[in-house]
Amino acid sequence: MDIRLSGVTKIFEPDIVALEDVYLSVDSGEFLYLVGMTGSGKTTLLRLISREYAPTRGQISVGDRNLRKLRQSELPYYRREVGVVFQDFKLLQNLTVFENVAFVLEAMGIPPKLVEGRANEVIDQVGLWRRRFLKPPQLSGGEQQRVAIARAMVNSPSVFLADEPTGNLDMRTSEEIMRLLLSINAAGTTVIVATHDQHLVDSYRQRLVELHNGRTKRDERRGRYFVDGEL
Amino acid sequence: MASFRYALRDTMRLLSRHWGLSALTLLTAASVLYILGFASLFAMNMRYMISRIEGALVVQAYMKRGETADQALELTRSSPNVASVRVISPDEALERLRAKLGNQARAVTLLGENPLPWSLEIQVQKVEHITPLVRDLMVLPSVEEVLYSGKLVERLAVISRASAAVSGVVLLLTLLISTLVIYNTIRIAIYSRKEEIEVMVLIGATPTYISLPFVFQGMILGAGGALLAILGLWSTYSSAVEAVRSTLAFVDIIVDRRLLGQFFIFLFGAGATTGWMCSWIAVHRFTSRGMRSR
Repeated sequence: MDIRLSGVTKIFEPDIVALEDVYLSVDSGEFLYLVGMTGSGKTTLLRLISREYAPTRGQISVGDRNLRKLRQSELPYYRREVGVVFQDFKLLQNLTVFENVAFVLEAMGIPPKLVEGRANEVIDQVGLWRRRFLKPPQLSGGEQQRVAIARAMVNSPSVFLADEPTGNLDMRTSEEIMRLLLSINAAGTTVIVATHDQHLVDSYRQRLVELHNGRTKRDERRGRYFVDGEL
Repeated sequence: MASFRYALRDTMRLLSRHWGLSALTLLTAASVLYILGFASLFAMNMRYMISRIEGALVVQAYMKRGETADQALELTRSSPNVASVRVISPDEALERLRAKLGNQARAVTLLGENPLPWSLEIQVQKVEHITPLVRDLMVLPSVEEVLYSGKLVERLAVISRASAAVSGVVLLLTLLISTLVIYNTIRIAIYSRKEEIEVMVLIGATPTYISLPFVFQGMILGAGGALLAILGLWSTYSSAVEAVRSTLAFVDIIVDRRLLGQFFIFLFGAGATTGWMCSWIAVHRFTSRGMRSR
């Protein structure tokens, strides 16, 4: 599913400009890094795409949906097409790994047998098969991150958004997660990853969009974290 | 169908995982429904006692000598406020007099020709209907005299009106307080799961899917609370009936099991409905907040 942002501005009360006149076009099946300093607008942009926020000005379309015209009753169905890995994971603390992942399918009214099969398949894919009956507080940060990824990918969304998916993780775990994201992308899903991780961006070079003070600073096909001469 | 099964499973999960809060909500619902039930039973008994006294009140209209009761009968039968009317012929009146006099019944023969007039015994629907009826009867040319317990009727009418107003206000207030208390308890219970609801909204659960377990939980707690309240009321009311019978035998209170059964079924329904509505409103506030794009 392709994503188009045209002249998008987001201003928070009272007068905080998070994004200003952003134009961005992401093709279906593309992988994109969103980089920039803290407060540059990365999270806001992802939240605008997941329709957690509404733009102050401008248009956002995902596939054939114009998000401005999306009715509240259509929102749950839209969100099922957009898998999101939140910066703070947002896992349900008193549910097990399996229950956290299965929940998304249950909310779609899928019968228990199918839910079980698909949830187990994804849990195995993210390498948590042996931890599937544990609850989030019993897992490490990396494992929780993988549960969040499993939950976001379990219903095979067309768009996958990950906000700092490797934040606070060691290099080895970060690489595992990166490979997971690339495998999701390889299946045809459009993936946008907001990250600070220079090592990751430079090791797995993909399209890179840098935001600075809410504006697009650069957009490169196979970009590096730092532009030559910046260091 | 699968969604319904998930909702039932999640309801059980909500009840068991937060059992402390569930128990607190159950007890709160039971307490307020007990108070509501108690106030309702009190109001019902007040009305019952007054209606029993009202039912016993009879207006007696005596005709002039030589006049029949036809005119007065026509007037009373055309009134929607009259519950029943009985025509007493002079012969029947004489028989009654004989029966009353007992051993001295022979004295009646001294009267010669039967001097007693035609009369009517009228029962009205409500005590406040007596005074206007008496006024209407008095203006009829055929009516000689109308007898009724004037002062008692007026006082009863005032008490009847006041008790209806007071019990109405008390019931309304208890109902309002009960709903508010149950709503707030359920709201606190739902508030503790605010983040859970927020996550559900973000990953694409519909408001109905999110609400159902909370609504079922509210219904179960409301109905459970009502059941406990009914048990408490039954025990209190049985003791009250015994106490009244042994000390104030002349006081009439409701002992009709069918009527009490209907009242308890109503209370049970009210508990379940309040629980359902309160949780629906409370959870709806959180889901609609989550659905709104900021």
